[in-house]
Amino acid sequence: MSRSKGMPAARPSGSLSMTGRSRLLALLLVLCLLVAISMWAVTLGTVRIPLRSVGNAIFGFDGSREHLLVMTIRLPRVLAALLAGSALAVSGAIMQAVTNNPLASPGLLGINAGAAFTVVLVMTLFGTGTSDIYLWYAFFGAGCAAIVVYGLGSFGLAGQSTVGLVLAGAIVATFLTALTSAVLIFDQSTLDTVRFWTAGSVAGRTMAQAAAVAPYILIGLAAALLLGRHLVTLSLGADAARSLGQNPLAWRAIAVVLIILLAGSAVALAGPIGFVGLVVPHIARLTIGVDYRWIIPFSALGGALLVVGADTVGRMLFTSQNFPVGVIIALIGAPFFLWLARNKAGGAT
Amino acid sequence: MTRLLTVLIFLLIGLILASLAFGDIPLSWRELFETITGSPEANLQNVMIVFDLRLPRVLLALLVGAALATAGTIALAVMRNPLAEPGVLGINSGAAAAVMVVIVLLQDPPAALLPAAGFLGAVAMTAAVYLLSWRGGTSSLRIILIGIGLSSLAGAATTLLSTFGEIGDVQRAMIWLAGSVYDANILKVRLLFFWLIIPMALAWMSSRELDLIRFGDNSARSLGQRVDLVRGVMILLCTLISGAAVAAAGLVGFVGLVAPHIASRLVGPSHARIFPVAALTGASLVASADLVGRVIIAPAQLPAGIVTGLIGAPFFAYLLWGRRHARE
Repeated sequence: MSRSKGMPAARPSGSLSMTGRSRLLALLLVLCLLVAISMWAVTLGTVRIPLRSVGNAIFGFDGSREHLLVMTIRLPRVLAALLAGSALAVSGAIMQAVTNNPLASPGLLGINAGAAFTVVLVMTLFGTGTSDIYLWYAFFGAGCAAIVVYGLGSFGLAGQSTVGLVLAGAIVATFLTALTSAVLIFDQSTLDTVRFWTAGSVAGRTMAQAAAVAPYILIGLAAALLLGRHLVTLSLGADAARSLGQNPLAWRAIAVVLIILLAGSAVALAGPIGFVGLVVPHIARLTIGVDYRWIIPFSALGGALLVVGADTVGRMLFTSQNFPVGVIIALIGAPFFLWLARNKAGGAT
Repeated sequence: MTRLLTVLIFLLIGLILASLAFGDIPLSWRELFETITGSPEANLQNVMIVFDLRLPRVLLALLVGAALATAGTIALAVMRNPLAEPGVLGINSGAAAAVMVVIVLLQDPPAALLPAAGFLGAVAMTAAVYLLSWRGGTSSLRIILIGIGLSSLAGAATTLLSTFGEIGDVQRAMIWLAGSVYDANILKVRLLFFWLIIPMALAWMSSRELDLIRFGDNSARSLGQRVDLVRGVMILLCTLISGAAVAAAGLVGFVGLVAPHIASRLVGPSHARIFPVAALTGASLVASADLVGRVIIAPAQLPAGIVTGLIGAPFFAYLLWGRRHARE
């Protein structure tokens, strides 16, 4: 568990001790890339729509076919990708700060397993409905699972260490995943429907769906940005945090609420895209250092960039609109992550 | 310690007897006794049920459980992470991807191909993780991160195949991957036993090295350990053991994670004590999971890998809860 030793930014050398200015520059670079890719993503599709008419559609909607296409299909999809990506990445960063564990991701709080279980249960019991309904069931399942994990982990070990939280997460996730597979093994039609959902996708999302979860995600993001300072303290471990005057139990609870808001909404919107929450914070930490005041904005932009970029590449390469974005995220993100991990992690000898 | 081992062994014997007696055709204890002792009154059908069907199955479950627990103990020590289990090395994701490829892309693959594919996938994946994280030495963190990266690549392949594959094939792959000991026979049990005996003995004999390496690379090195050599050998042992378990039974999850934790809570941090207790715990977990899985909704059966999650998780939660006032 001695994390500090292995964490790259403990070494004060090279690009790891980025100055404030170069960090700001990196952040701006990612932001510009994100804006460019998002704009490009809206114009791209079976019908190419020039950027000018996209602007017109947003600010002066006239009900033409082109404007309708932008407002009901393209824009919601890009917005969903932006929201889900940034929410997952930031919740992953918070999770890693809370648990001090490089293997931690929002999934470890049972978010993905809880959402998947409720969706599968609802599909099996009531048949397949519209995806509007799954949104709330998934959110509900994710929240419940996370609360159970937190209760078990914090009170189960009286808050002595984060090992309790981590193990409790593994327990609840395993239990729910086992239940889910038990249902799916006997119910082929649900498996057939749910496999697209579990792969993670932002295809066919409506403006209403994006708008439904947007407030939670925006509140969560804003809070995470404002509380970055406390997350740094929290990531030092309970003892250090307490001696710095922080109440680690209270802040851990706040962090869990943030994770539920962020990751719960993201999973409800886009399905369990595990990779983003796990890897984007690592990428941020490996490039920018261990300061969570920087990791969080960087993760938010980086996660959004990864999901929007992957979805756009997927739409460009495969005409089938249903190609799951989760797969492309892994195909694009993993090699980059492997390169970073190989070159920067764990004290090269 | 002796008392604990005795209790565990008695528990195990009880489980074996129960597994032999219960099932679609329940045997009374008297019938079971007659069958086992080979008394002339034994019914021929019962002899077949006990020796050809139930005995290999329970033996396979025991071996798989012990193997997973041993591999998990090694991974826990080498990775120094409470979440470490053989899956961190990419074993599960590699096996899953390989099996998915074989089932979805080949027309009617022969049944014998699946274990081979699972084993090869697991070994190839671990080798890739280890080689990619080698840069004049390894570190636990780098292995963990590379494992995450490669696993997500393999996971992407699995997801892709399961999203676009023929639904019947996907379901078949899911059942295989869920981990089960349905198709046990005595040949398979023997094969697994002889495969496991050397790596498991080696692992147990290197308990002291594991005790050392857990202190961290620097401490272990300054105490005279050749850290990279030990870590490499241990990862090799872990792969051989859990790869074979995966080949025999698919992905029986959770045992590798939980058995070492239970063992170290019971007998403290010394690996010489953890290994036997973890192995017995893992064996009882898988054997009881299989027993429950084939009795609870008979005549249908739940794969053991699912039941380990369903039973093992609440049990472990209960253990955590019971020790909530103990300091870590």
